[in-house]
Amino acid sequence: MSRTRSTSAVKAVLAAATVVVGLAMSTGQLTAASFTDGGFDSKGTDTARAGQPVVTDTVLSADDSPEVFARADAARDALGFPVGSKKAGRHVKDGFQNSDYDEVAEVGSSGQPLAITQFDGDGRLLAAVRFDAPSGPQVKVTSDAAARAAQRGLAGTGLTVGGAPRIDANTLTGGWDVHWDRVQDGFAVRGDETRVHVWQDGRIESVARVEHKLAAAPSRRLGQVEAQEAVALQVDAWSSGEDTSYAVQGMDVEWVGPNAMFEPSKVGAAPGPYRLAWVANIKPSGPASEYVRLITLYVDAGNGAVIGGDIVE
Amino acid sequence: MKRAETLLVSVLLAVSALGATTQGAFAYTGDVWSNSDSFTARCLGFTDTYPQQLYSLTTGQMGALGYQPITGALGSSFTRSAFLSEVFYDYAVYVHSHGDNYWASSGRPNVDSAIMQDPGPTRCSDFSKDAIRSSTIKSTTIGTPYNLVIMSTCNLGSSSSTMPNAFQIEMTKASTQREFYLGYAYLTYDSSELRFERAFWSYLNGAPNHQRTLYQAFTYAVGIGGYSAPDSADPFQPNWWGNPNYNGTPG
Repeated sequence: MSRTRSTSAVKAVLAAATVVVGLAMSTGQLTAASFTDGGFDSKGTDTARAGQPVVTDTVLSADDSPEVFARADAARDALGFPVGSKKAGRHVKDGFQNSDYDEVAEVGSSGQPLAITQFDGDGRLLAAVRFDAPSGPQVKVTSDAAARAAQRGLAGTGLTVGGAPRIDANTLTGGWDVHWDRVQDGFAVRGDETRVHVWQDGRIESVARVEHKLAAAPSRRLGQVEAQEAVALQVDAWSSGEDTSYAVQGMDVEWVGPNAMFEPSKVGAAPGPYRLAWVANIKPSGPASEYVRLITLYVDAGNGAVIGGDIVE
Repeated sequence: MKRAETLLVSVLLAVSALGATTQGAFAYTGDVWSNSDSFTARCLGFTDTYPQQLYSLTTGQMGALGYQPITGALGSSFTRSAFLSEVFYDYAVYVHSHGDNYWASSGRPNVDSAIMQDPGPTRCSDFSKDAIRSSTIKSTTIGTPYNLVIMSTCNLGSSSSTMPNAFQIEMTKASTQREFYLGYAYLTYDSSELRFERAFWSYLNGAPNHQRTLYQAFTYAVGIGGYSAPDSADPFQPNWWGNPNYNGTPG
């Protein structure tokens, strides 16, 4: 694709020309017949940033926090990550993810991070990511070899996993996603997992441990029939007065994170612990099926209340 | 010759656009568009809050990256005509809506990807009325470059998507231009898009002086895991094309 920076210059020229004309207008040399904003909901940056989550950090030094740097070195070596010419440590309060962690970056000679490792307050690995990319043609390892590489890496970082992993070919990278999905009291914890991305040559690109706090299980759990009734009640309410109707595809019990999907008043609220819920997958039919593929509804397994959900647009 | 044509068309556009904005010399406009009317109680029986959440997140974070002003719309002002009249001037574009890789008017196997405009307060989305085709966007952007394009939709990060080309972003991971396109390859839960985009922005804007690259932010966001997927045929797989060393700042 050939193209030049000239088009960027054109944009700049247009912007400058617009200003010149704007100035001319403001001094009365031209008259704008109709000066609209085109119906846009313009947002000034300051306004838009109000209420935005923020990341704050404090520097960690190897002298003051030797245990953090030692853990980072051990994880780096266990995962086969690159060694930088220096390290940068920080304690992070991540308002986007509502999490606190210690992070150590291996920094290359150009000043760019080569890899990072993150640890929770107990010193357990939360995430590890390398930022370089495999170069040149590679031999593709088998899924079994990828799983073995993932298990070796996890063991070296002190993370324990049980049972056989799920192994998915990553069609975009050619590598493998090896993951152990979390199960508590016999029920899946939605989204929680220990996951290892393995490059197609068998090297580890990243490790993540996602483990949310769980509320106590309800003393009495809704049975399938009761749960179906609760879901049907909700679906009937959605369907009333519209051409769109819904069909429940399936239901299962899972631990889920309550969310603001159906409740605008809860947007921005601090996330609570995961709760045991009946999870229903629901397909729309009628006009909405043209742009909504799936709705997922979370119904509290104890009291039948809707506590969140999800949507595939 | 192409350059001259582009300049001529651009000048004509400039004349037609006079008075459309007085936002400042060398403004690096970022447009953030989110279709919300299709996802209200009127159309679905309930109001889905994800369009609002993703819109709010992006307006703030795109501004923090240096794009100014941040325009676009949440809801009924996200029309095809508004999108197309504004897009030429943009340096960054974000869309959260329904998106897919549709057959082109010439028929299969040719693809012409599309996003859906907001249908407004009296209708619900209808492809025949609301689609904004990549071919139409391509003819509107007339060769002008874009720094950052994020299609927060299903499927427009797949290798068959024609949306990157509408913004002149080559589907390579080794570009040396200041350009980056981000999309999702398969059907994707909104909650996963929100988690991913939060992580993406938090890493990108989480250090001073824009010292991190979009590729690093992408890799970090993928790496933290924890993404739900609707089924095994649709794993959560964001994708990107562009320059792996680009920090995303405008210009």
